[in-house]
Amino acid sequence: MLWHKAWLETRGRFFAGLALSLIVGFGVIYDFRATERLLPLVRSMDPAALDTTGPIGGAIKEAIAAQQTFRGFVWWQWYRQNLTYLVVIFGALLGAGGLLAKSGGATLFTLSLPVSRHRLIGTRAAIGLAELLAIAVVPSLVLPLLAPSIGQSYSVIDVVVHGACMFIVGSVFFSLAALLSNDYADMWRPVLIACIVAAVLGMLEYIPAIAPFGIFHTMNGETYYRQAGLPWIGLLVSAGISAALLRTAAVNLAHRDF
Amino acid sequence: MSESLAIETVDLRKRFDATDALRGLNLRVPQGSIFGFLGRNGAGKTTTIKILLGMARPTAGQARVLGLPADDATASVTIRTRTGFVDENKNLYDYMTVEEIIRFTAAFYPGWRHDLEKRYLRSFALPLHQKTNALSLGMRSKLSLLLALCRGVELLVLDEPTSGLDPAASEEVLQAIVTHVSTEQLTVFFSTHHLADVDQIADHIAIIDAGRTIVSGALDDLRGQYRRVQLVFNGEAPDITFHAPGVIRVRRQGRVLTALSNAGGDALIEEAMRFGPVSADVLPVTLKEIFLESVAVED
Amino acid sequence: MIFRPNPSLGVPIYLQLMEQVKHAIETGALRPGDQLPGIRPLAEELVINPNTVAKAYRELEHDGVIELRHGAGAFVSGQAARSKKTADSVRTAQPIVAAAIQRLRERGLTDEEIRRLFEAELAGLTKAGGRGV
Repeated sequence: MLWHKAWLETRGRFFAGLALSLIVGFGVIYDFRATERLLPLVRSMDPAALDTTGPIGGAIKEAIAAQQTFRGFVWWQWYRQNLTYLVVIFGALLGAGGLLAKSGGATLFTLSLPVSRHRLIGTRAAIGLAELLAIAVVPSLVLPLLAPSIGQSYSVIDVVVHGACMFIVGSVFFSLAALLSNDYADMWRPVLIACIVAAVLGMLEYIPAIAPFGIFHTMNGETYYRQAGLPWIGLLVSAGISAALLRTAAVNLAHRDF
Repeated sequence: MSESLAIETVDLRKRFDATDALRGLNLRVPQGSIFGFLGRNGAGKTTTIKILLGMARPTAGQARVLGLPADDATASVTIRTRTGFVDENKNLYDYMTVEEIIRFTAAFYPGWRHDLEKRYLRSFALPLHQKTNALSLGMRSKLSLLLALCRGVELLVLDEPTSGLDPAASEEVLQAIVTHVSTEQLTVFFSTHHLADVDQIADHIAIIDAGRTIVSGALDDLRGQYRRVQLVFNGEAPDITFHAPGVIRVRRQGRVLTALSNAGGDALIEEAMRFGPVSADVLPVTLKEIFLESVAVED
Repeated sequence: MIFRPNPSLGVPIYLQLMEQVKHAIETGALRPGDQLPGIRPLAEELVINPNTVAKAYRELEHDGVIELRHGAGAFVSGQAARSKKTADSVRTAQPIVAAAIQRLRERGLTDEEIRRLFEAELAGLTKAGGRGV
């Protein structure tokens, strides 16, 4: 019954995240069609001949290079940008509200039930993370499904691997929001703070020295995209941070007075 | 620590940051009793209840519920399989309907009483398909009580069960408690400001103030022991210092001297006769007077 | 049977119940052999603690006023027949009390004052060392 309760309390956010991601995912497919028409123009432009120097110029060069193929387009637009934002935001949203969810002020009722706090917290965390995993993977399935309709193809394996990277890094923001929710009664401040942290980390990644160690570098699976293997270290570190944050939140709650 | 006490606390202390909420609270709740827990706002009643149910941890001292230590996390789960609770604000999951929250709660108690569920649903007239946040306070109180009574438990801990209720709803709640006690093996521990409720159904009480127990015992014994002695004199009432034990308060107003005693009135009357009063009355003391005098003395 | 204890009086409820049962027997409303309400139904009807009703019945049995027959219930005892004489004296005493109260009211005393006077007088008998029957 605890699973059912956790589901009832998070399903609104979950469905919103799923729906939004599906819509944006659809958009990616048909965006590519528009981009395709520009491709001949783009291909005729020799990237090396572009008179661009500096970080912005470099970014433009990268963008053009990447989006020459459908796989590249998907990686650049969907994983590197849209889905990253969605997973970070909905990761935080699903983690916020507390692992001993406020439930309309009925915390004392919940605590009067014959279950340990660890079980209450564990159930809520598990449901939230499962929902985040679904958001990280399911909307992306639109790509292999609908790619043929525009004359392209996309590998399901890519969806699974990228989804795993998205989920593992996204869970860091889930856990961060959960930890912050221990101290904030409302849901919005933990989400806001988690997003600010994400923004700061994102901006730091523009510094070339930091870029390969950045959290988002792991999240969008760049090394995998470039056929250079999975970002194992990044994934392990993210998983470790996420677990540590979650454990801190849980221990804190287990000993708290209500 | 004996098993025949449903609840026992010894020198229970609780400190929140800079405030001492409980300062050595002693409580003995006999099994099978209906126990009224009285005190002013902020005296520490809700804090005590939270500690008993494992929602908060004591700073020092001991608390045992049904023989088990309340501050041990594992024992606390066992305590809660045998205890029903109703909180002050009667808050329930606002996104669940009456039926859903009943099914939800029932899932945690293998001994759930479906017969009682049917009976109370009918007698409380609870609308099955309404969300709990659309219910009035009276309805939520009755629903909370149903959820506590149907668990098939041996102890009920109720925090202000009749607060905010009109007399009819209040009586329904009291009647459900009394009926339940008469047919099941049950101890009821309830905190309240409604002294009339305590007068009506409690057989034991404790009055606490500033985190300590001031008065406790069987209600009938207290009613037998507390007496108000009223003496009227011809002239100004003399300033009598009573040597009899149990004198709590002596007041002089013009020709009248009133003394409150918790050891009967006979000894005081004997002493007072030496001063030649015109009239001497020994009067029973209401619970309200006991309460007011007990918490006032502490000031 | 109409029992109406007042919980807020400061007098234990079980004593009030005992007095009301005795009074009912004295006025003949309850006769020897009559059955009293069961402990649980009475507690539920009056919305009072069943232990209180049980205590009242136990004390009444101890005083010989009622009999508790195991499994059958509580019955007014045959000994209550002894108080038939008392029932008559109580019945004839009532108009005397009524008249006294009426006279005191005419003098302007409130019912509360009258009650206190009676109680003080009776307490005075106790003080003097004797308890009138």
